[in-house]
Formats: sequence, structure tokens, C-alpha cells
Amino acid sequence: MVVRVKNLVKRYGDLLALDHLSFSIKEGEIFGLLGPNGSGKTTAINCILSLLKYDKGEIEVFGQPMRPDAYDIKRNIGIVMQNVAVYDELTVYQNIDYFCGLYISDKSTRKRLVNEVIDFVGLGEFTGFYPKKLSGGLLRRLNIACGIAHKPKLIILDEPTVAVDPQSRNKILEGILELNRQGATIIYTSHYMDEVEQICGRIMIIDRGREIATGTKDELKAMISLGEKITVESYSITENQISSIEKLPGITSVEYKNNKLMIKSGKGTNNLETVLDFIRKENIHFGRIYSEMPTLNDVFLEITGKELRD
Amino acid sequence: MVFKHIFTYRLKCLLRDHENIFWTLFFPLIMATLFNMAFSNLGSAETFKPVDIAVVNDEQYRQDKNFKSAVEKLSSGDDRLFNLSVVSREEADDMLKNNIIDGYIIAGWPIKLVVNQSGLNQNIIKSFTDNYMQTVSALNTILSKDPGKLQNLINEVESKVNYVKEVSHSNAEPDNILLYFYSLIAMACFYGGFFGMREVSDVQADISPVAARVNTAPVHKLKAFIYSSAASIIIHLAEMLILLAYLIFALKIDFGSKTAYVLLTTFIGSIAGFFFGAFVSAAVKKSEGVKVGVLVSATMICCFLAGMMYQDIKYIIERNMPALSYLNPVNLLTDAFYSLYYYDTFTRFFTDIAILTAFVAVFGSGTCLIIRRRKYASL
Repeated sequence: MVVRVKNLVKRYGDLLALDHLSFSIKEGEIFGLLGPNGSGKTTAINCILSLLKYDKGEIEVFGQPMRPDAYDIKRNIGIVMQNVAVYDELTVYQNIDYFCGLYISDKSTRKRLVNEVIDFVGLGEFTGFYPKKLSGGLLRRLNIACGIAHKPKLIILDEPTVAVDPQSRNKILEGILELNRQGATIIYTSHYMDEVEQICGRIMIIDRGREIATGTKDELKAMISLGEKITVESYSITENQISSIEKLPGITSVEYKNNKLMIKSGKGTNNLETVLDFIRKENIHFGRIYSEMPTLNDVFLEITGKELRD
Repeated sequence: MVFKHIFTYRLKCLLRDHENIFWTLFFPLIMATLFNMAFSNLGSAETFKPVDIAVVNDEQYRQDKNFKSAVEKLSSGDDRLFNLSVVSREEADDMLKNNIIDGYIIAGWPIKLVVNQSGLNQNIIKSFTDNYMQTVSALNTILSKDPGKLQNLINEVESKVNYVKEVSHSNAEPDNILLYFYSLIAMACFYGGFFGMREVSDVQADISPVAARVNTAPVHKLKAFIYSSAASIIIHLAEMLILLAYLIFALKIDFGSKTAYVLLTTFIGSIAGFFFGAFVSAAVKKSEGVKVGVLVSATMICCFLAGMMYQDIKYIIERNMPALSYLNPVNLLTDAFYSLYYYDTFTRFFTDIAILTAFVAVFGSGTCLIIRRRKYASL
């Protein structure tokens, strides 16, 4: 195991930030920590990095207990903080070189690694720029470069795509997959479920410091009863028509809100055709109609009773 | 190797921190220039300039030998009271009208004084004429009542004795204005606290994201702090040398002849300022704005108590609360500089330096004790 967290408890006064959290991460995995803001993702990461004191639990990294002075372990960890952590007075190149130099003392090796990571994050044209002159997306890329330049075996990315434009976001996500292909184990925290679904092999959903569910995205979706969601955009649906839809076979719930009819059905049933037949028969005018498979948000909603994005 | 890496990058960082450089270098230089402008005017204002007067050259003036003699005596020599012109009434009026003289006197009894405005110089002329008439009147009264005592009175009037004499403790001349410049240097030394504050901020993971990143690196936290602090202290010392050079060579401020000791004082003051800021930053568990506020307030209060804004406060504290003057590091620095300038012996200087060194040890070890913690309760 690259990381093993067992019964981790962290309190901030009366607030229980981590409630007996346990998980293990295997070598070569991309492990996602998914949860709403304030769920304890960053607290868990800071405990793993030995930045935060915790009240109870055990943390091992690369099979060794993690401590603030475990420099051999730290040498193999790369961290990309949620907040951009670079010096405003140093250029892009100098920032990367500085942080890489805290891990790599050989000058020529460092130079090679810095140039490689600059190519990797696509900052080649901006090496002489100061951070304040960079856009939000480029700044995030610099933040990532500073964390991974020394080629760590374990990379921890804490919400690296917050406030990033779609182009930079895709570049970052592609980069993470490439790092994983090159052999790095990745811990990725986010409250964006689509990102986590896109890149993570295994996902732990947490809320209020507790594990809600862990597994691959298919395993997680298999844990809930929802099979299909059909949405009909229409402004002319009557109460009687809604009652009739509720009586169709396999339908578990129907909700009509903001001119959107949301029809949910259980696992193993496909009701799109049945719903379309009903709409035609009732001559209901509609704008769009579409069917979706369950998302991680549905998993979160069904288990906790609230939306992930809340 | 790590030392060189951290040290060189730290130099680059700090030298490009324009705000910090302004407050620690340019602000004291500007203040020194302003002090110099203000105090050079003060110096010239203190130099007495003889009052320009005229006496009307009429029959009464020519006959009143005593008055003529008194006016001429006060209008001769380097330390004369008046620049005297003996002219006709018309000429005197013209001179007064054209502001060539501050007033003119017409001899006789009573003596008449003509001025066209009130002011210090006019008061001086009036004081002279009043004093003269009072003395003459007293002499006439004594002469008429008891002529035998006249000689005693004349002797007393002629032998006015100044009972106060300025005596120097050393070869140097007492110069209170220097205290302002010395306290300015002390203030600049303690503005080095901004460097100390930044060093602590950049190594405390609960203060800045950059510090959190540094804390996750395989580098000992205290070593990282010491390496980058070395860069800060060197930059601040260089700034202090620039300030000293500006004061000595451009503004001609006299530091006496003990240059090596002046440099030693600046060096210790600079380090004391650095660790003072580091200690404030480490001890005050508030936002960066609050820390800066505490540092600036503490420094300025110390400067005020050392006499930077109101010189007498230094002596009031020394007289009424002597312990406080030893607990104020800015005052110790000011005092050390002044001791070097004024006293021929080093007793007072080395006392100041010893206490300042103790301050460095307290602030330095206090800072290290606080920041040595390597895990945080919250980030």
C-alpha cells in the first residue's frame, strides 16, 4: 500500500472534522476523494502530509509511519495545494526551480526536471513571467509544476481545477492521467463529480468527515436503487397527467418543477419508450426530452439526502 | 548545497519585494532628508541676527552722551545686538517704510520708539529703551536721595554675571538634534522587523500556502528559516549601511570618530529589529494585517519613547522610569549611538550593547521555540 489511513479522527474544538476515516491506496491508483466543501477532504490530506495534528488514528505512507521529519518519505511525495503556493517575486522558471531544489540537490538533474515539467504543463512560453502576469489557468499549471517537478511517486492534488477555464482544466486532467501512466500514484480531491468520474479508478465519497461509500464509479452507482432519470422540458403538464405517469410500470418517483418533469425509475427498467408513448397519447407539447444514467451526485443524494454540490 | 539554494533564491525574492524595500530602505532615507531640512532651519533660527535700527541724529542725541554711548556699545562687535544707522528723521522714516530697519529711536526724555509693526525685533528694541530709561531713572533717584550709594549701583549695573555655564563632559559638543537622527537609525533598524515577519510567514504552514508547501518538502523547518533569515539579515544590513553612508556623507551627521563601534551598533540593532519582527509574527496568532499593525505600532511607540518625535520624553522616562528606558530597545540603540558620539568612555555604550544583545537572544530563541512546532492544530 502506498497510503494507509486507519481510524483517523480530527477535531476542531467541538467540530468533528474527520470521524474515524479509514482507507488504503494501492500503488499506481488514481484515488479520488469526493465530497462537498467542508466535508474533510483537505483536512485528511493535511493529516496525511503530517501538517496537521490529529486526535486519533494511524497514517502510513510507503509502509512507514508518516511524521514531520520523515524526509525520505517526503522526498517521494508531490503536493499540489488547493491555494496557489508560489512566490510572487520569482518567475515561472525560478519558482519551479526553487521548489524542485528542495528535493533535488544535483543542479544538472534539477535543470532537466524543471525543463521537463515546464513542457509537461505547457508553460514553455511563460518561463520568464511573474505569477501575477499569469491567467488563473496558467497559475494553476504553475502550481502543479511546482508540486510535481521532482518526479514524486505519490502525487496529492487538492482541488487543482478550482477557478480554472475549461481548456486549462482539460489540460490538467490529461496531465494527471499521463502522470499516472508514468507510474505515479495519485490522490485527487474534488467536489466536481464529473472530474472524479473521468479520471479516478477508485473513489471515496466523504461527508462531514465520514466515509459515505468507496469503490469504482460503477460499484458506487450499483449501491443505489436509481436506474434511470428521464427529464421532459414542458410547461403544460397537468396534475392528472403526473398521476398517470406515476402509475406507469417501474417508475419510482415523478417530480415537476420549473417546467421540468423529472421521472425516476428503478434498476433494470428502461422507461424512455413508455414515457414517449404516454406523451404522444396525451398530446403533451415538450421542448426536450432526455434520459440519464445515475451520477455520483445521485449516489451522494440517495445516501445522504442532499446534493453533492450543496 | 540546500543553504546556497535557499539563500540565493531568498535574496532574489526579498530584493524584488518592493513594498518591503520601500519601508526598510527608502522610507528611512526620506525621513532622514526631511529631518535634515527641518533641523537645518531650526539651527539657523537659533542663530541670533542683530536687529536693524536707526537713531535720529538730532541735537538731543548728539548731547545725550550716555545714551549715545549705550547704543554704540550694543551695536559693536560680533555679538552685537543692533545694526545701527545714525540718520535724519526723514531718512529713518524712509528706511522704516522700506523695511530696511525694524524701528528707529528718537533720543530725549522719554525716549521715543517708532515702529510700523509688532514682532520679536521690535520687542527687543523696546526692551532696550525701557531698560535704559528705567536704569537712568533709578540712577537719578539715587543721586538725588543718597549720592553716596551711586558708585555701588554703577558697579552692580556694569557687572551683570551669568551664573549658568555650559560645560562639556567630553571633547564633543552637546547636540540634541543628533538624537533625532540616532532615533531615526534605531527606527530603521527596527523596520528590519518586516523582514523577520516575512521569514516567519513563509515558514509557518498555518500562515501562508507557500509555507505549507515548504513544510511538505524534505527540509528541516528551522534550517529553512535560518537559511532564508541569513539572506534577510544581509539585505537589511546593506540597507542600514546605505542609510549610514547617506547620513554621514550626504547629510554630514556627526557620529564621532568611533566608526567601527557605530557599525557594530548598527549590526546588533539590525539583528535585534529582525528578530523583534520575527517574534511578533510568531507570537501574534492573527492575520498578517494585524501582525504588521502590531509591529509598526510597537516600533513607533518605542521610537516615541526614545525621543524621535519629542526629545524630552527620553529624559522624562530616564528620570521617572529608568527601568523602562532599559527595556526599550530603540532607546538603547539611540543611547548607544549618542554615547559613542558624546562620551569618551565606553561604559554606557557597552551596557546598551549588552542589553541589546540580550534582547536579540530573547527574541531569537522565543521565535525558534514558537516556530519549531512541526504540526499545526489547524491550517
